[in-house]
Amino acid sequence: MTELEIGQEVELEFGGKAQVLSVIGSGGQGTVYLVRFNGQKWALKWYDIDKMKKPKEFLKNLRSNIADGPPDNKFLWPKYLTKEAEDGTFGYIMDLKPEGFDSFVDILNTYKLEVDPLTGRAVKKDVKFNSLTAMITAVINIVNSFRLLHRAGKSYQDLNDGGFFINVNTGAVLVCDCDNIAPDGSNFGIGGKPGYMAPEVVRGITQPNVQTDKYSLAVVLFKLLFRGDPMEGEKVVRDVCLTESSELKHYGQNAVFVYDPNNASNRPVRGIHDNVIKFWRIYPDYIKDAFIRSFTTGISDPTKRIIENEWQKLFIRLRSEIIMCGCGRTNFASMFVQPNEKTFKCPKCGMEFVTLGFSNRSYRMPLFLGCKFYECEINPESEEFMKVAGELVENKLKPGVIGIKNCSDRKWRAKMPDGVFYDIAPGKGFPVWQGLEIDFGQIKAQI
Amino acid sequence: MNNENIAEQGVNEAINTETSAQIENAAPVANVSEAAADDMLDFDDNPLSATGVSRKSLVIFFLIDTSGSMKGKKMGELNTVMEELIPEIRKVGEADTEVKVAVLTFSTDVRWMYSNPIPIEEFEWARLRASGVTSLGAALKELNARMSRNGFLNSPSLSFAPVIFLMTDGYPSDDYKAGLKELQANSWYKFGLKAALGIGSEANDNVLAEFTGSADTVVHAYSGGQLAQMIKIIAVTSSQIGSKSMTLSDDTGHEIGEEDVFAAKQKLLGQQIQELVGKTETDDVPFDTGW
Repeated sequence: MTELEIGQEVELEFGGKAQVLSVIGSGGQGTVYLVRFNGQKWALKWYDIDKMKKPKEFLKNLRSNIADGPPDNKFLWPKYLTKEAEDGTFGYIMDLKPEGFDSFVDILNTYKLEVDPLTGRAVKKDVKFNSLTAMITAVINIVNSFRLLHRAGKSYQDLNDGGFFINVNTGAVLVCDCDNIAPDGSNFGIGGKPGYMAPEVVRGITQPNVQTDKYSLAVVLFKLLFRGDPMEGEKVVRDVCLTESSELKHYGQNAVFVYDPNNASNRPVRGIHDNVIKFWRIYPDYIKDAFIRSFTTGISDPTKRIIENEWQKLFIRLRSEIIMCGCGRTNFASMFVQPNEKTFKCPKCGMEFVTLGFSNRSYRMPLFLGCKFYECEINPESEEFMKVAGELVENKLKPGVIGIKNCSDRKWRAKMPDGVFYDIAPGKGFPVWQGLEIDFGQIKAQI
Repeated sequence: MNNENIAEQGVNEAINTETSAQIENAAPVANVSEAAADDMLDFDDNPLSATGVSRKSLVIFFLIDTSGSMKGKKMGELNTVMEELIPEIRKVGEADTEVKVAVLTFSTDVRWMYSNPIPIEEFEWARLRASGVTSLGAALKELNARMSRNGFLNSPSLSFAPVIFLMTDGYPSDDYKAGLKELQANSWYKFGLKAALGIGSEANDNVLAEFTGSADTVVHAYSGGQLAQMIKIIAVTSSQIGSKSMTLSDDTGHEIGEEDVFAAKQKLLGQQIQELVGKTETDDVPFDTGW
């Protein structure tokens, strides 16, 4: 029973039946169907066990994953197993992808195809992040979800562009295809996709594990930010035809990063890799350095790969360095002129931005109307990178007066021009002035 | 109240000090920042404006016999299934693969449906008609001529090896061996994924196996239902395998070398076609009976 029929009912392990409504899609291991169960719609993944190497072990692992539950709500996690059919085939149901999320594949393509139900014609629709903050937030969410997964002692194994859904308006992320997730060190037969797989997996000398996940994660992040393949440059393009052996060479035996500082043999080619060339000019050095490390020393030495926590810190910093200028230009602080160490200036319109320095970090945060900082940035014990702690706002009662609003749930203290620190309760604010100092508790900040 | 007064005072002071700071700084740094500013603005610096990732391309070649013997039910079935097939192949192309289709028909003459491979998103099937003899040799020569960097495989970026799918219902009426010999010297053909479908009992599986290089990638359809099924199986499976990077098994236990991956996709295609063909039913009326 490798395929299910529309209308067919499938019994679930703990009772109840799911009725097949339609096909959602099919992949290497089976098919995903839209089903109705308990009056609600779900997705049912049904396996083609002939294509699986170790179906029994796979099922056992799936069962323990269901028992453990997801590391957090960013995972479209298996919910209930079906009963095993007589021939041993099985499946599981999970939540449907909510509205408003696009696949990573569509984001990389910058469009998706929507079929007009009347004409049957496919129409292209743009898929683009609507703000730079949303894009960097998506990156932080991806990194964080793998951090949580790895902390739970599991590895994703088959990390590739089919593994995520992203909300391009908010940067919210859903990790899907969670059925190959396994305790670190185990593998139930999943191969992978060259380009995303760590070179040692491509070469067949290591099975997927947490370290190889880290390599794949770096590829996913590179593709999302630089919109190209980190290993596809001149050396690869010269081969013209990508045969099996050239893939083994370029992604396994002799993988060379396109911006390897010590090996210029595989630079991006203008006309083919324009995205990578352009974005490499835009991102600040600390981001580029992290990718250089991942794809040079990290190729041969898995322990040199960037750990998720490090990525998370780098991208939280990058998010805090986004400047939305009044002239409409939005970019990272590194793409603004720095007339002095405490000021950024827009190269296009000349507008200047004062900055806030925090006691726990060396870089400064540019201030502009609407900019935010987050709980994890003012409280060393907090990991809440989505919870806004403060925002630069205009005083509603005094137009033109700009200040910082305390959006956190703790009291801060801020120094006013009279030299005295005053309590700033949650929901209250204080003006930005040249001598401003803020005491968040363990972390302090000043203009 | 007291607090608010202080606040207002503070802002004024902030504005004042900022303005004076700007004036002070303006003169000495002007040159430096102008040069830096030019550097930042001499290209499209919008971090959100990206083009789609550069995609690898895959061309699927359909070589279709339109000789007189294909007339009637066979051609009707073929036209219908090809129309239905296009949307299915559309789903195959992944983020990094652009799938294109080229159709070469052969009867007495050899003819391309379109003068260039067409992206699958824009491809529309032009219904074919049957008449004439089976010039397979001429078709293979024509394929060889176009299957080059200067011909149909001219994508500036990387290409996967093409998929080449031959469908015929009769024995070639010309010297197919001469055509095949030319084609066999073509590297795109060598690395390409080749599959063939024999329609009805006249089609010679040995000729087809010579073309694909192995019997595993040759299947036979004896009825209308089978024809539709086989075309779908072969076209979808081969474009799925062709448009992806090689799938790797991770239980080799030793480092993978050239010999492990050589023609891995063609072998996989053979396996999958045989598996799928084995599963299909064979109970409708044969092509050869009931005429």
